[in-house]
Amino acid sequence: MNSWWGRIASLWRTTTVRLTAIFIAIFIIFSVLLLGYTAFQVSYAIQRQQTDAIHRETGQLVQLDRQRGIRSVAIAVQQLSQRPGPGIYYLGDATGQQIVGNVSDFPPNILAAPGEYSFSYDRNVDLENPNAGDEGGYAVVQTTLLDNGFRLVVGRDVVERRGFTAIIFGWLGLGVLGIVVLSALAGGITANRVIKRIDSITATSSKIMSGNLSERVPMTRRNDEFDDLARSLNAMLDRIEQLLQGLKDVTDNVAHDLKTPLTRLRNRAQAALGDKATEETRRETLEGVIEESDQLIRTFNALLLIARVEAGTPSGAFSPVNLKEVVEDIVELYEPVAEEQGARLTWSANEGIVLEANRELLGQALVNLIENAIKYGVRRDHPEGEDDADRPKSTIDVRTSADASFITLEVCDNGPGIPEGERGRVLERFVRLEKSRTAAGSGLGLSLVSAVAHLHKGELVLDDNHPGLCARLVLPRKR
Amino acid sequence: MKILLIEDDTEAAKYLVQALDEAGHVTHHAADGETGMAMAESMDYDVMIIDRMLPRRDGLSIIESLRAQNDNTPVLILSALGEVDDRVAGLRSGGDDYLTKPYAFTELLARIEVLARRANPAEADTKYSVGGLTLDRLARTVDRDGENILLQPREFRLLEYLMRHAGQVVTRTMLLENVWDYHFDPQTNVIDVHMSRLRAKIDRGHDNPLLHTIRGAGYMIRE
Repeated sequence: MNSWWGRIASLWRTTTVRLTAIFIAIFIIFSVLLLGYTAFQVSYAIQRQQTDAIHRETGQLVQLDRQRGIRSVAIAVQQLSQRPGPGIYYLGDATGQQIVGNVSDFPPNILAAPGEYSFSYDRNVDLENPNAGDEGGYAVVQTTLLDNGFRLVVGRDVVERRGFTAIIFGWLGLGVLGIVVLSALAGGITANRVIKRIDSITATSSKIMSGNLSERVPMTRRNDEFDDLARSLNAMLDRIEQLLQGLKDVTDNVAHDLKTPLTRLRNRAQAALGDKATEETRRETLEGVIEESDQLIRTFNALLLIARVEAGTPSGAFSPVNLKEVVEDIVELYEPVAEEQGARLTWSANEGIVLEANRELLGQALVNLIENAIKYGVRRDHPEGEDDADRPKSTIDVRTSADASFITLEVCDNGPGIPEGERGRVLERFVRLEKSRTAAGSGLGLSLVSAVAHLHKGELVLDDNHPGLCARLVLPRKR
Repeated sequence: MKILLIEDDTEAAKYLVQALDEAGHVTHHAADGETGMAMAESMDYDVMIIDRMLPRRDGLSIIESLRAQNDNTPVLILSALGEVDDRVAGLRSGGDDYLTKPYAFTELLARIEVLARRANPAEADTKYSVGGLTLDRLARTVDRDGENILLQPREFRLLEYLMRHAGQVVTRTMLLENVWDYHFDPQTNVIDVHMSRLRAKIDRGHDNPLLHTIRGAGYMIRE
């Protein structure tokens, strides 16, 4: 019982239930007013009808008296009296002696003066028909004074009318009760549904708070506003989970991947301190230490940059960037390196592709793609001394293209490519494919390109170049 | 050189003061913004190194006040790890160069030495000359010992930057920033390849090379 009340109390706190209650109350008030008004009108109309009938009959009888005399009136009243129904008729002389009629025992004042009266009477005694029951009667009558002191009383027993009104009001009450019950039921069902949906969201969020991040708000097939909310909440949860997973991966990777170079750094420094080291080797070792720490700083900077780009707050604002200029600059910067590594770096870019972008990051992304192509896309498996002309030349093509909605910047090589199954994985931080372990690198290059793509609401797509890899940066024109 | 270092990380400051001392510079250190501001106002320095985030007074506001007082001492802004790297805001406040932590000391040293020189009016020269090498900024010609050298536009800008800072170490990052206008670290030896091409054009066939590689730091052009 207590928990039941608790349930009611907690239900009452909810906005849904309160709103429902308010609506029910307003509905009831309006229903009562409307039904009451209707009942009053109906009862009034019946009353009017009866009064009109009394007046009409009285008028006809008075006219009959004038035209044909009291005798005809008496016959007419006699006939009327014998008709079944609520009619009350009386014709008496000046002394109060009844001549004809179905009622005799009027209160004296009714016969004394003309006018309209209403009074209670005992039906059992007075009505000619004794089967009418033993209830008390109530009558509305009109007394008229005819010539020679004759008194005519025409009226109606209104008990039936009142019964009718009572029935109307009875049904009205029942109707209101029905409305109350039905609307309470409807309100309850609505409130319950809403509360259930909200409860499921609350339950999910408390599960998530207790540590189960993979929990999601259940969806229904109704596709209503709660499903919209659930969808957007789930998308938010996906993003949070992804970010947290990213953070966890970074922490793990930093711990793992930076330990190796730090250990190497320490060992080198220790070697430089060793007794056997000559001045020259000591110097060489220390220079190596500096190079190693520079590489570490670069890795840290790359990690920080990725984190900032992914958080959406990188350095520098977005501004209109001419893609051709970026491609031209970066290709010119890398062309000598590519050539030194045995690859031909070419570019083609459409004029006038201007997009809202972060020039620095776009440039950095292109640099990373070109560096990857040089590092992993250039064939080095040819023996030295082989004739250069026979050897298929490694090429790296940088191309831009644009249509109405997307701008594409792609870097394609004709190297070994990346197996399809690995393409998703190489975008993760510190992931380096087994084959590429020997080349220098931090495993952060493509992660950054992917983050830059996301910052521009675009995507990094890795595709097969038959042979080789096509890294495609697809950016929407409208950010 | 006399350097003012405003940096609240005392451990980093201690190391920096010592390293700058070894490089032959006198460094005064202030650990908070107010003290730093007072020191900057009371003494003349060749270069100031100012951290962005400082207790008691923000680094950028110090630079703005100094510039408002017509103090044009070159300033290198340091921005800490994890901060939003807003180079533009830093330079707009009146800073002359911007370096994000963590940085290599050689990078910092090269930058402040270049900054200190920038305060001198040598920049207005239309001709740079190192040894027998002459670069004419207006005619856009380069010759060595009277012999004309043909350079690509980018190579010209590269040499121009090096010669403007002749006798000073110029890091790869500085070259990338000033010649290519990009502020990132190239992973491979991109700058080195450009430098070796440039070196081939200006030093080949000459007994005394002018373009020198400074290991662990960068490049320098000198006699």
